Amino acid sequence: MSSFINAILAFVELEARRLKYNRTELYTRAVQPILWLVVFGPVMARVRALPTNGIPYVAFITPGVIMQSVTFVSIFYGLTIVWERESGILKKLLTMPVSRISIVLGRSSASIIRALFQFVIITPIALALGVRVEPNPAYLLLSLFIVVITAIGFSAFSIWIASYMKTRERFMGIGQAITMPLFFASNAIYPISIMPTPIRVIVLINPLTYAVDALRKTMIIGVLNGLVIDLLALIIFTVLFIILASIEFKRIIE
Amino acid sequence: MSVNKGEVFAVLGPNGAGKTTLMRILTTQIRPTSGSAYVMGYDVVKEGDEVRRVIGYVPQEFSDWMDLTGYENLIIYSKVYGVTGNEARRRIREVLELMDLTDAANRLVSTYSGGMIRRLEIAAALIIEPEVLFLDEPTVGLDPAARRLVWEKLIGLNKERGITIFFNSHYMDEVEAYARRAALLNRGKVIALGTIDELKGSVSNDVVEFIVNNAELTVKVLKEVGDGVMDVNVVDEGTVRVMVRDADESLPILINTIFNHGISIRRVSVHKSTLDDVFLKYVGKRISEVEGKVSELRAVRRAVMRG
Repeated sequence: MSSFINAILAFVELEARRLKYNRTELYTRAVQPILWLVVFGPVMARVRALPTNGIPYVAFITPGVIMQSVTFVSIFYGLTIVWERESGILKKLLTMPVSRISIVLGRSSASIIRALFQFVIITPIALALGVRVEPNPAYLLLSLFIVVITAIGFSAFSIWIASYMKTRERFMGIGQAITMPLFFASNAIYPISIMPTPIRVIVLINPLTYAVDALRKTMIIGVLNGLVIDLLALIIFTVLFIILASIEFKRIIE
Repeated sequence: MSVNKGEVFAVLGPNGAGKTTLMRILTTQIRPTSGSAYVMGYDVVKEGDEVRRVIGYVPQEFSDWMDLTGYENLIIYSKVYGVTGNEARRRIREVLELMDLTDAANRLVSTYSGGMIRRLEIAAALIIEPEVLFLDEPTVGLDPAARRLVWEKLIGLNKERGITIFFNSHYMDEVEAYARRAALLNRGKVIALGTIDELKGSVSNDVVEFIVNNAELTVKVLKEVGDGVMDVNVVDEGTVRVMVRDADESLPILINTIFNHGISIRRVSVHKSTLDDVFLKYVGKRISEVEGKVSELRAVRRAVMRG
């Protein structure tokens, strides 16, 4: 058990050390979400057409933009795995006495660092734009937990995809194809209540919807009704893809 | 086919012969489609965990994180393996010293030369204190000086620590120089197996050619030498070709004999048999003449490019 945890921590440490040398990546990743908050948010707020239950529009999309950023960062994490496949690193890892599940869990957990960084950059900008964020520290902890579990889930999902898309080009293609629909077919920038039924069905099977809904409750609304269902959906999604990615992991080097 | 504990064993064959596949089966990366294999007595299919605990592996492609320092690479690998704290620091210091990388430890791997990267990979494999070291084309893409240094280190490990070394290569000279025993592989089949001397002895003889002033007499006297001399004949005027079992042993005797009969020698040339001759005998082609798989060629070229 301790070696299991050691291996996971080693992969997190690996990511932290790599980021130490490539810090600009962290900042460039934050550009897009900032645009959503600073440009798209205030402009759309003027339209006043979206029923957001009395929440100011910029506040409404803040959790959506944070979660979009977290999922994008996590989904492209699989690219690292594809790169390591092309080098000999994955082959070497598979000949070491660590279980595949600890490799997948460790690599997925490594994206927590990037995800939390997005949260830490975007939140102050939202505050500066006048968004009222729930001050209760317990709610903040819950928010962080939601960010973490979402990051792990989507990275595991991307590692699973990486075991099928074995080249960088193919992975980039599928990554682009997934991320935008994931964002638009969710409740990130508009409420579910105004959606036509067919789209609503898609939105309800999109894990990002539950992540956004959960974060909106803990960060903005401050009322936790229905949070359990969101968390349950996120945990099921995360566990499912960790298991799938672990099963398929060996496929990646074949 | 079996490999003894503590020996340096080579698998030699052209690109696409199945060397890498064999190694990946032995290091538990892929399952054999048929047959069975054991490493240190452990079944590679059923006892993969035990196998992984006693092996170190250096793949053909680079297996370091280029954007970290050498030291950081070793820290991560030791933690993944489960070695932490003071024990990790001690082992890292030791393997860095062993591989002559202490001075470069805090530089980013992207600034390393090809030979340094290889030595760092060997260092990473040594952190787990393995009993068997598997190396897939360990010197591909390295310049001759770097190749020699890598081999010096590997042979040192074998001699001083008794680590069994199992490597793949398509460089004949490397196999002849460093391996004690070897298997020749072609199209997934072992075509010959034995010590380097046995392999060479199994096919051909060494050839010694003399250019002399009296070819007829030379042939006559050399045929009487007997022991070690297999065949003597005249190639063209003045040139005598002698087939011997071992040129090193026979050459002094041959020269003495010719000299004692008052014949003068203008030129001597010795052609010793190589593993390529062995390959030629069993496959009908030289190693370099067998076409490799495109994928493997690509991997080699990528490694060469980065090196």
